[in-house]
Amino acid sequence: MTMGGDSPILELRNIIKSFGSLVAVNHVSFSLDRGRLVTFLGPSGCGKTTLLRVVSGFAEPDEGEVILDGQNVTRKPPNARDTAMVFQNYALFPHMTVAQNIGFGMKIRKKSREEIDSEVKRLLALVKMEGLGERRPHELSGGQQQRVALARALSLHPKILLLDEPLSNLDANLRINMREEIRRLQRRLGLTIIFVTHDQEEAMSISDLLVVMDQGVVKQIGSPTEIYEKPADEFVANFIGHINFFSGEIVALSGEEMNLQIAQGGLRVKKPSFPVSPNDKVKLVVRPESINLVDAGKEKGRVENMIEGRIEVAMYIGSIIRYTIRSGEQIIYVDRSDPEHAGIFQEGSRVGLILKKEIHMFKV
Amino acid sequence: MNNHFLQNLAKDFRTFLRSPGLLITTSVALVLLLLFIVFPIGAVLLKSFTVTYPIVTVSSQNKVSHRADSETGVTQKILASLKPVQGVVDIESTTEEKSSLIIVRFQKNWDDLRGLNDIKRALGRHKEELDQVIEKITIRMGKKTFNSLATYGEFFSKKYYYGALRNSLALATTSTALIVLIAFVIAYLGLNGPAGVRAPLRVLTLLPLIAPPFIFSLSLILIGGKQGFITKGLHLHFNIYGWPGVIIAQVITFLPLGYLMIENVLRSLNPNLDEAASDMGATPVEILFRITIPLAAPGILKAALLVFICSIADFGNPMLIGGNVSFLATDAYLLWTSENNLEMAAVFCIFLIIPSMIVFVLHEYILRGKMYTTIGGKPQQVEKRKISLKIFYPMMGIAVPVSLVIILCFGMIFLGAFTKILMVNNTFTLEHFETPNGIRSLLTSLKFALGAAMIAPIIGVTLSYILVRKRIPLKKLLESIALLGFAVPGTVMGVGYILFFNSPPLKLTGTFLIMILNEAFRNLSVGLEAGVSKLHQLDVAIEEAAINMGASTFQTFVRIVLPLISSALVAGFIYTFMVGMIAVSAVIFLISPGNYLASIYILNVAEEGFLGMACAISIMLIAVVLACLGALKMLSRYTKIAIFARGY
Repeated sequence: MTMGGDSPILELRNIIKSFGSLVAVNHVSFSLDRGRLVTFLGPSGCGKTTLLRVVSGFAEPDEGEVILDGQNVTRKPPNARDTAMVFQNYALFPHMTVAQNIGFGMKIRKKSREEIDSEVKRLLALVKMEGLGERRPHELSGGQQQRVALARALSLHPKILLLDEPLSNLDANLRINMREEIRRLQRRLGLTIIFVTHDQEEAMSISDLLVVMDQGVVKQIGSPTEIYEKPADEFVANFIGHINFFSGEIVALSGEEMNLQIAQGGLRVKKPSFPVSPNDKVKLVVRPESINLVDAGKEKGRVENMIEGRIEVAMYIGSIIRYTIRSGEQIIYVDRSDPEHAGIFQEGSRVGLILKKEIHMFKV
Repeated sequence: MNNHFLQNLAKDFRTFLRSPGLLITTSVALVLLLLFIVFPIGAVLLKSFTVTYPIVTVSSQNKVSHRADSETGVTQKILASLKPVQGVVDIESTTEEKSSLIIVRFQKNWDDLRGLNDIKRALGRHKEELDQVIEKITIRMGKKTFNSLATYGEFFSKKYYYGALRNSLALATTSTALIVLIAFVIAYLGLNGPAGVRAPLRVLTLLPLIAPPFIFSLSLILIGGKQGFITKGLHLHFNIYGWPGVIIAQVITFLPLGYLMIENVLRSLNPNLDEAASDMGATPVEILFRITIPLAAPGILKAALLVFICSIADFGNPMLIGGNVSFLATDAYLLWTSENNLEMAAVFCIFLIIPSMIVFVLHEYILRGKMYTTIGGKPQQVEKRKISLKIFYPMMGIAVPVSLVIILCFGMIFLGAFTKILMVNNTFTLEHFETPNGIRSLLTSLKFALGAAMIAPIIGVTLSYILVRKRIPLKKLLESIALLGFAVPGTVMGVGYILFFNSPPLKLTGTFLIMILNEAFRNLSVGLEAGVSKLHQLDVAIEEAAINMGASTFQTFVRIVLPLISSALVAGFIYTFMVGMIAVSAVIFLISPGNYLASIYILNVAEEGFLGMACAISIMLIAVVLACLGALKMLSRYTKIAIFARGY
């Protein structure tokens, strides 16, 4: 609070952390504003948990600085940092009751018994666990344990709340409920949260900001929409949702548009944000849901940016139907929502795939 | 609820009777367990409730024919002449038409030969008088056993006896407390200390495992005895015999056991809990006392209970260095060898069993499932943080002196073995190694240990399979019996075997076989426990798949289960072998002249004062054990079978 509201609450400057020959975190820098929920996202082993542990103080970086609310805390042990962690396995103290777990940090800080009691009560209510204070952790369900862990972490009013894959031990429905609840709590209390997960859907749905990591390196930082619609590279594109890639070469430029040649034919699309010239090789990134399907025979020659293919599999997944389409050498995935309205193409039928004019791409 | 239990029992019995193979295997196992564990212990129990008196029977053929005449004429005369005999407690008489029978009961422990002679002399004094009425008189000595609580009464009336109980309890409590403290410190340092400290501490702490259990008494005598290294070197009037000696020796002897168990507990604690506490602002010292110790407490208590059992059952250390202090386990042996007082020995055994049983029941049933180590899913790997110096220095203050004592003890054994008489004549010599009897005893030990190690794991592992996978009635009871052999102190099993196998139909005392059987059945539990834990890890589906492919239960066991749990067999084998090589407490009751075991031979030689020779044989014994373990390791590398599970 000393540094005022606008400065970032957390700054990581050029963090490097290696275990033996493995570089777990490689030159990572980034800053986080107050009251935001940021997610470190990436496959297992990408360094996201290590980065979180650097922030919490459980891992000391080989190089770089951790600035927490304007203070350099790089060499400070976890017990001297204003961060609180919710562990993947919750790490509830099994020899203590729920209330004792939540009150532990306050007890360590020698708070009075009355103060602890009332605060524990408040926190229990906050996570909707009223009346369960005398239970032991093993008498709770996974979701309840999660809430206790959350309450315990909140008990110290940390500057940043760190959540390490907190939902991975819960079953699917509970996971969705809990993540909504965490988001609500974060908004209501104005918490700053770092959330670590490998689940891209979870990350998209909960975050203000995503930090996508791979092999110790930050691949992209951006809002969920940015990351989804404009992935910075092939890895990010691949990791976030299903994706189709088309390799293409620029043929000609004309005003705002340009002509492209891909394996399946020619396309006319909007120019990308980066400068391009003819003969440049690019990679097009097309989400399955942004491809329209039409009857190939009927529409041939009548619409722009149509390529042809044959439906190999049509898989009905309830809200959408997912087509696996062979087009030349390539397999293309297309999702169509509301199949009842749009009609279902039969397996084996020939279809036309219509690409939009605005296609995200990057240089190869 | 009771009804439910009975219904279940009936159901179990019905399924059980339907499979003949299981029926036979289980019955054989049960018979073996009864014979070699339950009955001997039962024999001890029965013996403790009896009193045997020396008796002399006087039977006479009378010249007087009428019964009443016989009574007054003969019986009363004999009775009158026997009145002044010393040591008589009770005289019973019966008179028949032409004969009388008089049974003279002497005090317990009365010299029966003296009684016989006294009676002969007493009757001789009235010879002329008696000759007139008696045709023939026969005098025999014998023993008569009564059911009685008198031995217990005697136990509590003499300080010499009940003192042994008090001493044993005091010793076990003290040793256990010290061992738990030291083992915790070393285990903690071994896991969290600086890398340079971890390995040496671990190796030093485990070193006593390979040594005969009383070797430290031997070296303590070499250090602090009358001719001891320190006593003599510093001209101290200090005596290591008695309490200080036994306690130090036991602490070193049982430290590996405590250490292995506590280390295991600490290792299995979820490291994220420490981190969570640290995250909440707790300092390392606060984490140690508020998180680590409370979490490890049930495991530590378990370790303490086991150490307690071992300490109270310890035989070698009190024997060698106990001095004038009496302890149950050893004094039971002395009561038998020097006084042939098996009844009091049996009572001693009962007082050995009671605390062991209480502790064992606590350990097996009350603490079961009270561990905090399995809660909360898989912990994440964590980066070890540097140990706080506020913890490091005090802990090193405990660990370093203990390590030094262990090093010193081992060193003394070597010095003792290679010098003529340590501190008297320090010239180098190999003469202590020239001991044909010692070497013969080593070979006997090898045969003995291998024999027991062949039997114990097979029975143990088979039993574990029946217990874990099969529905059999009264499962719990069977398991408890199998574990009993381990829980009951060796002295009790020794006395029990003497009592039970001393008479037909199973007169086995004095044979080599009975020694091996005794050792094997006392160590069933290792193979059993290893098998149980292995089987719990093994998915039943694997066996179901085999049965699904048409294999019988037996084929499944032999072809699928055994190979998969072979490590349990091997663990049982190695444990039984190592324990067998250094066994003292139970077998000492059973050895026969030709079958001296090295460990017992060392004990005897040491007691007679040949400390150099005792050291030399100890070194050879350790060498043999290490060589065998080395051979096994080579074998495991060769066959690719995992022999050395953690902790063995």
